[in-house]
Amino acid sequence: MLRIRDLVKVYPGPVAALQGVRLEIDAGLFGLLGPNGAGKSTLMKILAGLLEPTSGSVELDGVDIVKSPAKGWARLGYLPQEFGFYPNLTGEAMLEHLLELKGVDAPGGRRKLARDLLERVNLAAAAKRKVRTYSGGMRQRLGIAQAVAGDPRLVVVDEPTAGLDPEERIRFYHLLAELAENRIVLLSTHIVEDVAVLCPRLAIIRGGKLLADTTPAAARASIEGRVFEGDVARADMAAFEREHLVTSTRLFEGRTIARIHGEGAIPPGFSAVPATLEDAYLALVKAGARADRAIGAVA
Amino acid sequence: MSWRRFLAVARLEFRTTVRRPLYIVLLVLLALIAWGLSSGAVQVSSGASDVGGRKAFITSMSAIALSLAVLGLLLHGFFVAVGAGMSVIRDEELRVGNVLHATPLTPREYVWGKFTGIMAAFGLALLADLLFRAIANHLLTGAAEAEIVGPFELRNYALPLLAFGLPTVLFVGGASFAIGSLTRRPILVFFLPTALLLVCLFFVWAFSPAWLSETWNSVLMALDPAGFRWLNERWLEVDRGVDAYNTQTIAFDGLFLANRVGFVAIGLGAVAFAARRFEHVLLARSASANTAAPRAVAPATGSARGAEDAGSGLAQFSTLRPARLDGLAMRALPPSFLQAAASTARAEVRELRNQPGLYLFVPLILLQIIGTGLVRTGAFDTPLLATPGVLAAGSWNTIVLLLELLLLFYTVESLERERARGLDAIHGSTPTSTAAILAGKSLANSVVGVVVLLAAYLASAGIILFQGRMAPAPGPFLLLWGVLLLPTLLVWTSFVSAAWCVTRSRYGAYAVGLALLAGGGWLAFDGQTNWVTNWNLWSALRWSDMSVLEIDRGALVLNRAFVLVLAVFFTLLAVRFHPRRSLDGVRTLQRLAPRPLFRAVLPLAPVVVAAVVLGTVLYKDVQGGSGGADQRKYAKDYWRRNIETWRDAPVPAIRHVDITVDLEPAASHMRVHGTYELENDDPKALALLPITPGRHYRGVAYTIDGVKAEHEDRSGLHVLKLTPPLAPGSRLTLGFEHEADYSGGTTKNGGGAGEFVLPGGVVMTSFGPSFAPSLGFLEEIGLEAKDRPNAKEYTDDFYVGPTPSVLGTDTPYSTRVRISVPEGWRANSVGTLVEETASEGRRTFTWESDHPVTFFNVVAGRWSERRGEGVVVYHHPDHVWNIDEITRTLEASRRRYSEWFAPFPWQELKLSEFPALAGYAQGFPTNITFSESIGFLTRSDPRANAAFMVTAHEAAHQWWGNMLNPGKGPGGNVLSEGMAHFSTILLHESELGLRERIEFCKHIEDSYGSDRQVDSERPLVKMDGSRAGDTTVTYDKGGWVAWMLLHHMGREQNLAGLREFLRVWGPSADHPVLQDFVAALRPFAADTEAYDAFTRQWYFEVVVPEYRLEDVKKEREGEGWVVRATLRNAGTSTMPVEVSAARGTRFEDPDKESARPAANAPAAGAPASATVQAAAGKEAWREARTTVVAGPKSVTAIEIHCDFEPVELVVDPDALVLQLERKKARASL
Repeated sequence: MLRIRDLVKVYPGPVAALQGVRLEIDAGLFGLLGPNGAGKSTLMKILAGLLEPTSGSVELDGVDIVKSPAKGWARLGYLPQEFGFYPNLTGEAMLEHLLELKGVDAPGGRRKLARDLLERVNLAAAAKRKVRTYSGGMRQRLGIAQAVAGDPRLVVVDEPTAGLDPEERIRFYHLLAELAENRIVLLSTHIVEDVAVLCPRLAIIRGGKLLADTTPAAARASIEGRVFEGDVARADMAAFEREHLVTSTRLFEGRTIARIHGEGAIPPGFSAVPATLEDAYLALVKAGARADRAIGAVA
Repeated sequence: MSWRRFLAVARLEFRTTVRRPLYIVLLVLLALIAWGLSSGAVQVSSGASDVGGRKAFITSMSAIALSLAVLGLLLHGFFVAVGAGMSVIRDEELRVGNVLHATPLTPREYVWGKFTGIMAAFGLALLADLLFRAIANHLLTGAAEAEIVGPFELRNYALPLLAFGLPTVLFVGGASFAIGSLTRRPILVFFLPTALLLVCLFFVWAFSPAWLSETWNSVLMALDPAGFRWLNERWLEVDRGVDAYNTQTIAFDGLFLANRVGFVAIGLGAVAFAARRFEHVLLARSASANTAAPRAVAPATGSARGAEDAGSGLAQFSTLRPARLDGLAMRALPPSFLQAAASTARAEVRELRNQPGLYLFVPLILLQIIGTGLVRTGAFDTPLLATPGVLAAGSWNTIVLLLELLLLFYTVESLERERARGLDAIHGSTPTSTAAILAGKSLANSVVGVVVLLAAYLASAGIILFQGRMAPAPGPFLLLWGVLLLPTLLVWTSFVSAAWCVTRSRYGAYAVGLALLAGGGWLAFDGQTNWVTNWNLWSALRWSDMSVLEIDRGALVLNRAFVLVLAVFFTLLAVRFHPRRSLDGVRTLQRLAPRPLFRAVLPLAPVVVAAVVLGTVLYKDVQGGSGGADQRKYAKDYWRRNIETWRDAPVPAIRHVDITVDLEPAASHMRVHGTYELENDDPKALALLPITPGRHYRGVAYTIDGVKAEHEDRSGLHVLKLTPPLAPGSRLTLGFEHEADYSGGTTKNGGGAGEFVLPGGVVMTSFGPSFAPSLGFLEEIGLEAKDRPNAKEYTDDFYVGPTPSVLGTDTPYSTRVRISVPEGWRANSVGTLVEETASEGRRTFTWESDHPVTFFNVVAGRWSERRGEGVVVYHHPDHVWNIDEITRTLEASRRRYSEWFAPFPWQELKLSEFPALAGYAQGFPTNITFSESIGFLTRSDPRANAAFMVTAHEAAHQWWGNMLNPGKGPGGNVLSEGMAHFSTILLHESELGLRERIEFCKHIEDSYGSDRQVDSERPLVKMDGSRAGDTTVTYDKGGWVAWMLLHHMGREQNLAGLREFLRVWGPSADHPVLQDFVAALRPFAADTEAYDAFTRQWYFEVVVPEYRLEDVKKEREGEGWVVRATLRNAGTSTMPVEVSAARGTRFEDPDKESARPAANAPAAGAPASATVQAAAGKEAWREARTTVVAGPKSVTAIEIHCDFEPVELVVDPDALVLQLERKKARASL
């Protein structure tokens, strides 16, 4: 059980990156959704023991890892949002080094384990190449390999699928799903699809505040029947957005199709459509943003 | 190029640079140094040192240029190299480069803009440097510095800035910027300033032997990026007088201007090259990006609907399912400290292997070690023999400085590596302990140290093997570069790590590290370091094969222990502040509350306590040591309490000394008892007898005529009451006994010791109370340099009537010295060995003077001996390399000097070696002592042969110093030291040949030219050794003038006069000075008028010629050639001087051993035209000469007819006239 209590982080400025976040997360995949700047990475860094919060606590199976980050590191698999490696080491040597630092071993020895892990992330062919020759996606996969290594109780992955091609994303999904069978896997992303595919539970965070702690189904259900789709002339879009909560727009055969979340009258030409997690997420986030703007305007 | 964008980049870079800790620390350092310099620590070596004399201004253009030339490279250079070199690298690490290059900003605008911004910042630092100095010099100085502060003149600061500081900064900045931009390797950025520091400090600025030709000298000046060599060689080397330095503008010449313009061009050219390369690289990247564009890019975002519609599962992608992780059976257990450290070290080493810096630094170190090892010179520019210990200790400062710089760069870059590579988050979240990470990194960096030391050892071994004299024993290297160096490297690495962890900034760590090195260097330069503060043992280690680190051993052990504890402290600090986890500001403030702070500091307490205890013990040890406060207070008290009462108090004359010294060298202990036979030669009765014992004496007791005598202890001066008073002409026997430990004491900073009893050797003299009490009050004890009064001013006729002696007692006495030593030891003293006995594991040697002496000594060691004809040399068994030379020289000295001056009155002439804890040689009667570093460890070279020179000089003191004890007063010492040098010149010519004699004359002439101080130089008859520059005048000029006098008078007349002088004045109670000498030789001069003219100008005036050849032409004249030129004497004196037109090789290559006999060289003063058969393969030497008399400031036409085509015109080819800048007194034809 990962228990996050009243977590506050204030950066000099001051900027309140987290404002009293509370979460309790059991084993399994847990998605953390939020727009850029919501505070996701700050939360991830605190969970990874790399950033000290201003106040609050984080307990992993009863151990306060804010007070004793080293106890957390022993049970952590972490894939940060941005990272690099020693450029002059081969992928295999780099991974082997990180396995040594993590104290991860296997019956066949560390070198074999490194090779096997690289094979799991489809990097076996590039194992002997120096990391400086890797593409962004290959580096990301090497990062994934080190994050899933060992027997971490808590796996924290921050925007893990950035830079991965669709095939590799699927491979990664499988790895995460397997990890989540008996571990806490925290997936922080702004890509709703990742959460929708993987996570039975998720939280939505915005402006350092927790907006929702829910399941995909509950999220969808919460807006079911209130999602509509229809054409909007491009010239009218600005005015339309002022009147309705537009969650997304897309182009289809040269027309702009808007998707709205509404309680009141349905605009002409719009019809109800099944709600998705993305609708629920965008509705929540955009509604919050609207409210903030409104408060700002009044103030 | 858009100026707007260019200026925008420059402004941004300027703002960034001036806000960096690196820059701020530089400014702080500059302010501190300006303050330090205002006390006069760096002055042009000119002017008079006595009160009221003209002093060199610290505000003169020359003084500012001198310090700026050095600091421009060593201080500004390092900081600008880091600032400029890291600029582009930092942009790349921050990944702003790509963003910038996606804007309209062109590479040229980017590169030049950045460079301009950086240069503006460091140019401002240069201005600040001079502003600080101007403020410190003109506003913060007081009455104490009034003599050295001249009026403020803007040009004195501005011109050195433009001529020295700015070109250096532009060169180093430009080159470092280019290196950083082109390689993106931080280590390479530091290579340039480190290489410049080493090459300049230890070679380009320092290498200037007398034999270096003017052409090579100019080449080195041209290669000096700081311009310091030019300033030193062309402007400061030959003293132009303090007025010139205080008021004149430096006369820059074409060579200097070309040098400065050249280095600026190199700096700017490097930046231009970097800009072009940058452009090419970006174009290439852009082309590559365009080619790669069609590759599929994964959609970063997408609709979730597809996946959700498909049923929210991964089943449809089962073909992409990787094998399960649980099949790997992974297990995790946090690594142990050692495992993690080893893993970190392995990864770091792999990274290091890819750092080109290592491959550049190692060859540089090899070059440095080989260069300094091969050209190490000692007294008289003699090449020194490279022994393992001498090389290991001699390279200490270089190796330590180099390793510290290297480790600074490698440690910071190693700590910065994860952050720079973006691995910090992954790395930091592993369960590896921070201590293990730091240890692993340190371990890897220590590989750099080991590689450097191994390379240095191999280079040293190569030098030793190249000499072919001994094996490159690794012992001294292991001891010094291993055991003693390790704590220094540990504390330095841990300090740098702590600095990086606390400042959390690469620039902060560099700033702190460089500041500590610069500050430490300054303190060492200023003589303010001691065993407590000298953590890197700069200049503290003194090697002796005979006495390995025996002196100061306690302080050395404590110092190393103290440094190790500090290393632990800094390591704990680094672990505590390691930026692995970003700390929260609010919580950090909360931690500063007393209770949490106490809890945080508590774990450090044991280390802090250990450091404080060790530091305190060491401090007390230093304070109680030979250079410490306790000793100073003892001496001061002695001086203050007794000076007025006892300064001129009469003491009886010693008639006989009978002393027994029981030595226990292993314990640095001695027991002494003996008697002085004293006679009152004063006209008044003597009621009180003052005696000065050594401070180290214990259990002091006296007897008078066998009866116990009580003494009053007057702060170290023992006063015995004589009852009844000792009547004039009466005698008494003073008995004394004491014991003492005499290891030399703990010095302030490893300064060695002149006299000592150590397990490796013993040397003590009667000049002070080291083992035998001194009679009377000794004015020198307690008199510190700053309190030293000006020398006594004597009247011109001071020497008329009895003159006391300059050395020892006024009247000679006989001695009987018994010395007992452990078995295996031998002990020597003055006189003849009359008895040698062995009993109970000890040997006793009894020495009696077979001719009276005025001072005596005791020297003991475990020696081998080499006997010659009437001479014997006692030496360390391994120091055999120069024994033949020393023995031959001693034999020749005894034979020749006896023949030239007076028969040697004693039976045997001994020479004994003592440990190189001091570097002197002393010519006691029959018992010469040599430090092992003099003569025993030199390489014989026809250009300079210290074994011969020093032996000949010290042996000459048997005549000039012992048989003839000169008078106390101006000019007296010239008869000792100057005449010993003169004797050495004579012996050179008789034993080695013309070339070696010429080389020796040129050596001491060069020494005179560079060490004399024009403003304070006085005539030889006024030399009293009290002023700067007196030493070279006494020794070098004194010897030269006697040599010129011999030629002036004619050899036989001169030697006859010298014999008569010794015969008359040797046994005299009236001790002679130069006036007596001149008068004694006058009757032997054939032309007394010419003799008077000569002696007047050379002994009673200060003159020295400086010849230049001008308008040199050669023309055909029938079958032969005629050479015409004018000889200008830019100096003073009127002397006949020879000018030679010559071609061919006069002497063989002096480096060839076969060249040693000078059989084919003509004698001095050869006929006007001579031809010498040249050695095989060399053209025969032919020459024609003429002699002209060139007076002060005169211009004299010369014409030389030759029956061959001459190629060179040389003034004074045989070195018969002392002159300045001899190298310039020649011209190619």
